[in-house]
Amino acid sequence: MGEFKVHRVRFFNYVPSGIRCVAYNNQSNRLAVSRTDGTVEIYNLSANYFQEKFFPGHESRATEALCWAKGQRLFSAGLNGEIIEYDLQALDIKYSMDAFGGPIWSMAASPSGSQLLVGCEDGSVKLFQINPDKIQFERNFDRQKSRILSLSWHPSGTHIAAGSIDYISVFDIKSGSAVHKMLVDRQYMGVSKRKCIIWGVAFLSDGTVISVDSAGKVQFWDSATGTLVKTHLVANADVQSIAVSDQEDSFVVGTAEGTVFHFQLVSVTSNSSEKQWVRTKPFQHHTHDVRTVAHSPTALISGGTDTHLVIRPLMEKVEVKNYDAALRKITFPHRRLISCSKKRQLLLFQFSHHLDLWRLGSTVATGKTSGKFLVPGKHGDTLPLSKDADHLLQLKTKVSKMPACLRSAVQIMFSEDSTKLFVASNQGSLHILRLLEGSFKHLHTFQAQSGTVESMCLLAVSPDGNWLAASGTSAGVHVYSVKRLKLHCTVPAYNFPVTALAIAPKTNNLVIAHSDQQIFEYSIPDKQYTEWSRAIQKQGFHHHWLQRDTPITHIGFHPKRPAHILLHDAYMFCIIDKSLPLPNDKTLLYNPLPPTNESDVIRRRTAHAFKISKKYKPLLFMDLLDEGTLVAVERPLDDIIAQLPPPIKKKKFGT
Amino acid sequence: MVQLRPRASRAPASASAMVDEGQPASEEAEHGLLLGQPSSGAAAEPLEEDGDGDDDLDDEAPEELTFASAQAEARAEERRVRETARRDKTLLKEKRKRREELFIEQKKRKLLPDTVLQKLTTASQTNIKKSPGKLKEDKSQKKNEECEKGNESKKVKEKIQSIGQNKSYLARRLKDQDLRDSRQQAAKAFIQNSLYGPGTNRTTVNKFLSLNNKRLPVKKAAAQFLNNGWGTQKKQNAKRFKRRWMVRKMKTSKK
Repeated sequence: MGEFKVHRVRFFNYVPSGIRCVAYNNQSNRLAVSRTDGTVEIYNLSANYFQEKFFPGHESRATEALCWAKGQRLFSAGLNGEIIEYDLQALDIKYSMDAFGGPIWSMAASPSGSQLLVGCEDGSVKLFQINPDKIQFERNFDRQKSRILSLSWHPSGTHIAAGSIDYISVFDIKSGSAVHKMLVDRQYMGVSKRKCIIWGVAFLSDGTVISVDSAGKVQFWDSATGTLVKTHLVANADVQSIAVSDQEDSFVVGTAEGTVFHFQLVSVTSNSSEKQWVRTKPFQHHTHDVRTVAHSPTALISGGTDTHLVIRPLMEKVEVKNYDAALRKITFPHRRLISCSKKRQLLLFQFSHHLDLWRLGSTVATGKTSGKFLVPGKHGDTLPLSKDADHLLQLKTKVSKMPACLRSAVQIMFSEDSTKLFVASNQGSLHILRLLEGSFKHLHTFQAQSGTVESMCLLAVSPDGNWLAASGTSAGVHVYSVKRLKLHCTVPAYNFPVTALAIAPKTNNLVIAHSDQQIFEYSIPDKQYTEWSRAIQKQGFHHHWLQRDTPITHIGFHPKRPAHILLHDAYMFCIIDKSLPLPNDKTLLYNPLPPTNESDVIRRRTAHAFKISKKYKPLLFMDLLDEGTLVAVERPLDDIIAQLPPPIKKKKFGT
Repeated sequence: MVQLRPRASRAPASASAMVDEGQPASEEAEHGLLLGQPSSGAAAEPLEEDGDGDDDLDDEAPEELTFASAQAEARAEERRVRETARRDKTLLKEKRKRREELFIEQKKRKLLPDTVLQKLTTASQTNIKKSPGKLKEDKSQKKNEECEKGNESKKVKEKIQSIGQNKSYLARRLKDQDLRDSRQQAAKAFIQNSLYGPGTNRTTVNKFLSLNNKRLPVKKAAAQFLNNGWGTQKKQNAKRFKRRWMVRKMKTSKK
């Protein structure tokens, strides 16, 4: 492999925002996650929990509630008083409708999926009808005294439970009036000064209403009589979220201490038919408040202020006990946020509202680095960027007029010689623009093939400037010839989304990494898979390789050695040497012994193509600058935690 | 014997008076003069005429004027006066008419054409019946209701801007925007207070990260041991004093 000097970069101040709401869609097995800064992400849970879609956020759109409706439609509501529908094909916002009730605190879709209920700041509950193109206001229910913080439909769609401050009301849908008003006890650790906020309610089909409040209680109410049935004191802090499974035999609650409790309906004795709710499992995977939970048929999903998304499959519900039943914790982004200019040794960091450009310092023997801050505005060699629909980088400030077709782009890429700009728009078409001094000249547009843009679009351009590869349609990766301005070939479609794309410098091989950790190598001039790719597909990857949690986000190449491919994910980086033999399942994937200590015999026996190092983690980016230098951008977890809001105080014995 | 002029009937006088109510007084006065003192009038005229014209012939008998001629003269004069009055009146009327027309034109220029107004009034009626959620412009509904009550031209103009014949812009009332912002601020303050306010059991990040360090077999220091924000004013004063002292030292050592 050789020796490299490594620039270890730790000054990328990446702090993700906390998770505010989570909504699980059963039919498509997808999870919608909204964060406190308004971004909405959609994870495909069946594609190895890969983040498929991403809607960038805005402070004015801080979401407080998220829900799926019939027909895969996603709605969110926030403190600006508007209900927003998202267009999942064009990765844009379809429309936003003001509910005229002040800030919206909660939203729930009816069990049939055709009606939407919204709880507002002024105490009113509003009913909206979901039409095929828009939503329409139907009517107001009786107005309550204080803000409606949580809502839940009865599975039959006849009643609603609404949690407010110090009380819970049960409404009848037909009449629109409150049938019962159940007062909640304020007592919190023996003191009853603070108001009791009902953070979540759930309505079961037998008429039980489950409420979780800020005094740490989980209470069961009977909605027919309006009385309290049972109280469970679960935590010393707020219990902030509740989610019930579809079969109504288990539910999960999340507390402000970071603990997630699983309640199950268990029979009292082994052969009796009487059942009761029992708190079965506590999970401590979070350090800060767990503000939202969701219950899928096989897993418990939780997310909170500490920005992790934790998916805990339940062992009794999982059929096959393999690696799929392991805990998944998604902390780092699944897209590449950093790009590197190799010739000029510049790094571009993408934040949610601005870009930072840094120059790497020259290295001394110790291998440390020092960075100087530069004014953004220079573009380096290749700058792939995915931007939000609001603004177009700092390029806009340089150029006076933008062509009208470029409304909102999903990805931008420069060519190797910086004369051409490739833009993938959210309508599914690909534009090529020539960059001149201070102006654009539109060269060509590749229209979308039949079928819509479904996932994040990735672009890759070959170093000699002839080929452009674009993923994103369900038809596979398209390769376009830039010289002749037409479609050259299409890599056959694979059922898992693409996480990284790159084209090798001399051989023009397209290397594709998918979310299930498969890697394909496709030769563009020959229009077929390479020999090495066929060999490894035949043998199959090592099972440790396939059991990695995080997707590969960047692929790089060595300028002098065409047999080497450099890949990385969040916890390892790997150089694949195509000339060496492939490992089978019996060999060790992660070679622990350093090469200098081994004797020749052992080295020959255990040497295989995958050279993996776990020295630098958690990695956000790794690339080869030149022949002897690597740059690794790390983001230690402690640095992120240091910038989060304060957690609840926990008393530990001996401190 | 002086022949008395027969009393002219009151009918023409009344008719003229009816025609011109504005100046009955002067006419009647004149008529009164003519009627009341016919003899003096009749007698006066020839006397005046004689007096004016005849300076040369002193002792000639005054000309004899018949009553008919005098009457005719009087009538002519009456007619003249009536006609001037009528002319004045018509002139005034015309002037007033012209002024009113001018005003109407000006008003029309301010208003929009009738077709647009009609469209708007029907549109506003239907808009109020429909749901508030239908309108994209958020405050235009409230404005509609206000406009229905008082339909002045200026308010109609505002309504036009908000409903929008062409939907290329969106008009917002700033007063309502302040209300929205204040409500949003209140909501954010509520959530901040309920999660992180007084009464919640929160700890600092430093203490949270140091908790593990305290329970290790070899106890370590806290994650952020130094508090750099302590005594900033004192440190600044010390720095300034040190600079000044150094300068003084340099000066004295040079001497």
